[in-house]
Amino acid sequence: MDIDILSDAFFAALAAIGFSSISRLPLRAYPYCAAIAALGHSLRYLLMMRPVPGFHIFWASLVASFLIGLIAVMISSRTRTPAEAYFFPALLPMIPGMYAYRAFGALAVCVLNDNPDTFGYYFYQAASNGFVCMAVLIAMVTGATLPIFIFKKISFQATR
Amino acid sequence: MKTAEQPDHTTTDHRTTMVRDLLTDYAGWLLGCGATCIRLEKNLKRIAAAYGQDVEITISPHHVHIYIVDRNDRTVFTSIATAKGATSFDTITRLSTLSWRIADTGIDIRRARRMFDIIVNDRPRHTWVVPPLVALANASFCRLFGGDIQAMAVVFMATLAGYNLKIWLTSMRADLRLTFLLCSFASAVIGASSYLFNLGDTPQIAIGTSILYLVPGVPFLNSFSDMLHRFYICSFGRLMDATVLTACLSIGLCAGMIVMGVGMF
Repeated sequence: MDIDILSDAFFAALAAIGFSSISRLPLRAYPYCAAIAALGHSLRYLLMMRPVPGFHIFWASLVASFLIGLIAVMISSRTRTPAEAYFFPALLPMIPGMYAYRAFGALAVCVLNDNPDTFGYYFYQAASNGFVCMAVLIAMVTGATLPIFIFKKISFQATR
Repeated sequence: MKTAEQPDHTTTDHRTTMVRDLLTDYAGWLLGCGATCIRLEKNLKRIAAAYGQDVEITISPHHVHIYIVDRNDRTVFTSIATAKGATSFDTITRLSTLSWRIADTGIDIRRARRMFDIIVNDRPRHTWVVPPLVALANASFCRLFGGDIQAMAVVFMATLAGYNLKIWLTSMRADLRLTFLLCSFASAVIGASSYLFNLGDTPQIAIGTSILYLVPGVPFLNSFSDMLHRFYICSFGRLMDATVLTACLSIGLCAGMIVMGVGMF
């Protein structure tokens, strides 16, 4: 289990660094971003472990992204970088891409299929995966943005 | 002939014009670089206040409409299309820092303009390192979703090829939706090789994750952030943009899988 968590943290950090490079993060922010992503992703991994605590991906993402947002706000004022510069790339490894992929894939099968039973099954797949994807996205952004609301002064004066 | 006592309207008007131009260009660049609406509004109001003006802004996905009210209650309307560029948190950070420098030190508008121009004209360095980093990130994604080492290797290659294709198509000024479709098709075709050649035990994960580098994460996150701050129009526009791009990459993926004869689920 310990190795699994460490491995999850390591690969989340790698993913955050890679996707940060697309978003042209300031150079000084890369190590922090990797650390935040590793912490957030491994927390979500821990929370979703079965049977205990066995959180649903929605609640696990909400809690983990809140931690990501909180650390991002705290770091942002020290490094004079906006908090979203840290938490956006750190959140990217948590985006439910597989859910989005399954939702659109199922939708494509619906369109290409005229059998009512098959259509019904894949329509359910599309709706189910699509709803989970949207819900997790909302949870992630809400969780990460809440600390900005709570510590508004720190957040918007970080680059001062 | 102007005297020392008379107000220098020419200079004042020129200064007002410079402030207006700076605010307009600043808004276009900040939004184009992927800033959230709340940051854009706060930064613009901060700069305007430093030069004795007030602004009201309407933000649509591709334009910013700005109403500038000066000390004499004169209102000027200005509008700008957002800068067409890649997301850049570095530029957002530097532009935000500039807004604070203007507010705190009251630097002259000409100097502020020069600093702004330096920031927006600064070309990104070490761009060669981005494709391998993105490929590594996507291979890490594959691992996070339970892919084995062979699947990771395939995803790395699929991403490297797809991302380089994306860079080339962008340099050719191809339509963004077509770019996403073609890149996901190319990545899916390469990703499907793990299935065709029985590479490893998780070929389905390799195919599924080979296109995830194209998921427009920042627009999705920005959209929900704007929604939370009640910028509904821009939020909806960004969400639609991201959804259309996701649909394009899904179509590319499906086409790639059909061409390679791989089942979807």
